[in-house]
Amino acid sequence: MDFIYTIFPPKVLSQVFVGLSRTTILFIVSSGLSLILGVLRIPNVAHGSLYMIGAFMAFTISKVFGGGDIGFWLALIGAPLGVALVSLIAERGVFQFLYEREHLMLLLLTFAFSLVFGDLVKIVWGAEYKSVPVPQVFQGFVNLFGGLPFPLYNLFLLIVGPIVAVVLWLIVNKTKIGKIARAAAVDREMVGAVGINVSWVFAIVFVIGCLLAGLGGALVAPTVSVTLGMDHTLIIEAFLIVIMGGLGNIWGALLGALIFGLSQSLGILIWSQFGIVFPYAAVIVVLLFRPTGLLKSTW
Amino acid sequence: MKKSLFLSVFLVGVFSLLLFIPLSYAQKTIKVGIVDTYTGPASTFTIDVLDGFKMAVEKINAKGGILGKKIEFFTRDEKFKPDIGLAMAKELVLKEKVDILMGTINSATALAVSDFALKEKIPFFVTFSKSEKIVVDKGHRYVFNMNENAMMAGRAAGYALGKKPYMKYWIAGDDYEYGHSIANNVWENIQKANPKAVLVGQTWWKVGEADFTPYITQILAAKPDFIIVATGGSGMVNFQKAAKATGLSQKIPFYQHTAIELSVLKPQGQNAPEGVYGTANYFFYYPERPENKAFVEEFKKAYNREPRIGALSGYMTAQFIAEGFKKAGKIDKEGLVKALEGMMLDSPVGKLEIRACDHQLVLPMYFGKTKKDSKYDFLVAGDIETISGKDYMPTCEEVRKIRKYK
Amino acid sequence: MLQSMLRGKGLIWGYAGLIILFLLPLILPRFYIYIVSIILLTGLLATSLNLVLGYGGIFQFHHAVFYGVGAYATALMLTRTGLSPWISFIVGPIVSAALGLIMGMICIRLSKLYFAMLQISLGSLVWIIVYRWYSFTGGDDGIHGIPLPEILSSPNGAYYFTLIITLICFLIMYKIVKSPFGSALQGIRDNPVRSEMIGINVKRHQLLALIIAGFFAGVAGFLFVVVDTTVFPDMLFWTLSLEICIMCLLGGWFSFFGPMLGAAIIIVLRTFVSTFTSYWTLVLGILMMFVIFFLPNGVLGYVEEKLHKGLIEPVIKE
Repeated sequence: MDFIYTIFPPKVLSQVFVGLSRTTILFIVSSGLSLILGVLRIPNVAHGSLYMIGAFMAFTISKVFGGGDIGFWLALIGAPLGVALVSLIAERGVFQFLYEREHLMLLLLTFAFSLVFGDLVKIVWGAEYKSVPVPQVFQGFVNLFGGLPFPLYNLFLLIVGPIVAVVLWLIVNKTKIGKIARAAAVDREMVGAVGINVSWVFAIVFVIGCLLAGLGGALVAPTVSVTLGMDHTLIIEAFLIVIMGGLGNIWGALLGALIFGLSQSLGILIWSQFGIVFPYAAVIVVLLFRPTGLLKSTW
Repeated sequence: MKKSLFLSVFLVGVFSLLLFIPLSYAQKTIKVGIVDTYTGPASTFTIDVLDGFKMAVEKINAKGGILGKKIEFFTRDEKFKPDIGLAMAKELVLKEKVDILMGTINSATALAVSDFALKEKIPFFVTFSKSEKIVVDKGHRYVFNMNENAMMAGRAAGYALGKKPYMKYWIAGDDYEYGHSIANNVWENIQKANPKAVLVGQTWWKVGEADFTPYITQILAAKPDFIIVATGGSGMVNFQKAAKATGLSQKIPFYQHTAIELSVLKPQGQNAPEGVYGTANYFFYYPERPENKAFVEEFKKAYNREPRIGALSGYMTAQFIAEGFKKAGKIDKEGLVKALEGMMLDSPVGKLEIRACDHQLVLPMYFGKTKKDSKYDFLVAGDIETISGKDYMPTCEEVRKIRKYK
Repeated sequence: MLQSMLRGKGLIWGYAGLIILFLLPLILPRFYIYIVSIILLTGLLATSLNLVLGYGGIFQFHHAVFYGVGAYATALMLTRTGLSPWISFIVGPIVSAALGLIMGMICIRLSKLYFAMLQISLGSLVWIIVYRWYSFTGGDDGIHGIPLPEILSSPNGAYYFTLIITLICFLIMYKIVKSPFGSALQGIRDNPVRSEMIGINVKRHQLLALIIAGFFAGVAGFLFVVVDTTVFPDMLFWTLSLEICIMCLLGGWFSFFGPMLGAAIIIVLRTFVSTFTSYWTLVLGILMMFVIFFLPNGVLGYVEEKLHKGLIEPVIKE
């Protein structure tokens, strides 16, 4: 262990792992965004709002079940499903009629949705801060890396991230719906021509993408105060990640999230006053050298 | 293309006509215009200001108003955007013809509106913005600050912390005006009281940062004795949660302005960290004066929750407006400004004065640390030390100096 | 130039509109004059974006940066230097145009959403600098009470100044759109490959368009300083950029005057709906959905379309 520390000081290691756990949330949210962008070609600005709704739903579910551990686990399942339901209504009610429109128009439509969602959240949940307690099992911290504390909940996030990635990979690559969706991303007329109901495939992809936003919200809820406006910073980060990784590429989203999360947490070590600059600088460097993102885009 | 030109001219014309709604003359009421943020994380504070104000106004109106005139108020949600806030202030003054302006939690808006209020000679009561520029650097005849500002909060905390035996300090905070101002003032006052104290490092993160863990691990590695944490808004809760999760709150004591206040502690319930130092101007359980108890009872009855820090500010603003007009003897803006200078009123926390030199409300500051209390299902402030205004506020001399220097 | 824009039978209508705008301060109370000034300068901002967005087909997603930088450059010149204020007014737009050149050179290699995101990243860096450089830009509090020359300090002075500058800018922009350069730009939007083949330097045209758009956004920025005597970092935050895009699309991004109409609709809504309810963004969101659903070319685009088809009685007879 000491040998490792001489190459990577504990401070750096700890920062890397904290950065990785932050990456988990970014990855989950931006993979959903990337999925919708890749298959449906919708730049979904309302994705951030769905993330916020997920966090608020997690608060309500956890509170209804007494704020304990059961509440937390139910919230982790219930909140994404609730968000999925909201998105299904939005998709069937509005989006399905507009798939052929200009991208810019779709972007605007989703922005309109984010305005509406923002006010609806205020009407339903009020303006006060909400806080979801960390479940008993994950309270506290462990001493890793030369005695530096590492929160247990962040460890939990480090486990959840890869699970979500693998499940998503299985859905996209091994299921029928995933295969159709991938085909539709490349050529939607062709898929329609072989007699597949593209409309419902799109609906399912949209709902899965939004479900991921809700899951991200539910996962982040115990670590932050759940407030209105928490969607704002996240959505821009998610877009940058998706672009950096390559539009519509799930692994690209993972890579982008890693670069984004790690450049920030390591940036803090190098120049703590301007830690926030590093992720943006990373995006600029990536796009200057790889103008269409790191991995192959589906566009 | 020609057509579109005429069409737009036509439509602009129609809109202009729509705008042209006759103005009401002969005012029967005293009109107060409130511009504030009622959207986003800031609304946790602003809604209390509004409710405290509303409660006082209803009471005043029930007693027949001021000099026979009732108070009427208009609220506008500026959504934390200074351009919209300024446009709304202009709308209130120029269209609604309000006599008095009130607001706002956003310092940029407050400063812009303050500048406008000076030009229009409208008294402007700042109810939650924490920038000391409002009454210190950029103070003028028509602006009044009804809450503590960052300079005051920082100085009060520095005054109390300077007496503690900590030596190695670390400063961390939200990287904006408020954060820097709090931190600088705390640190200046600590140095005055405890010249041997050293600053071992600083960390600044972006406003609205959600995950503090990477920053905290970095601070922990440096092992300071005490951390001055200058966060505001939702950062308060986020930092406390991260401090608990990383064990920071058990290892190194830290201070946050308003850390001991209800807005921060109530949402966290029993899970808030214990032993966090903080300052605040108001608690519903302290000071235990009959006036405070009556105020809390009344507020609970009206809104079914305990009043928080903003409620006092809103409540007292209404009281000062009412008493100011009464003292002036007529509904006159110049008279109000003059009457308010040096005016002292009783409040839930004791007698409060508006200083004549800078129009700052002199408030006692409470310093304490968080603790559990079996009476409540959330943490409260314990070991409360009261710091009176004269001990921590910048003197009139200092204010004059800063104003001249600028 | 005015003649070319207003020739034909519509001449009278155009002049009538101008006369109304010039006479407004005589009929309208001060507040409405202020709102009209804001509409004019915001309309100018939206139209300058539309030069690249609608006519150029470039995804300029962070247009507010040029607006804010123009405003800040003017405000800093006014507060920090002893130079004549009129020089500050020229400096603002030039700085914006220079920024347009720099950001354009970096972003121009990318297309569509990639361009948009790179621009947002770069713009966010500019925003961070303005937001954090306290000693120079005043940080998050901004700069307030900016001194103006006597003639502009009165509400009507500011209004007439805004009106005249806006009109001049509109004439120039209209001229640009109708020029060979404007046609080439639209050609590039519709078919970049073909444009390249017939010998148009696509990148250079687009870059020039970005500089021009930056310049006029800077003009809008200094007009804001004139009207509101204040600047703050929100002026170059990305949410404002999205709002400007909305104005273009709402009014109609294939019409020259669409963005102006969009700006008017949004500002009027914001000003008057907010007096009734604090949920005015909800109203705006729902309205936007309806427009997108039923009027894909924006409000003005829809009206023009109907005029061409003769489905509704033309307001102006040819």
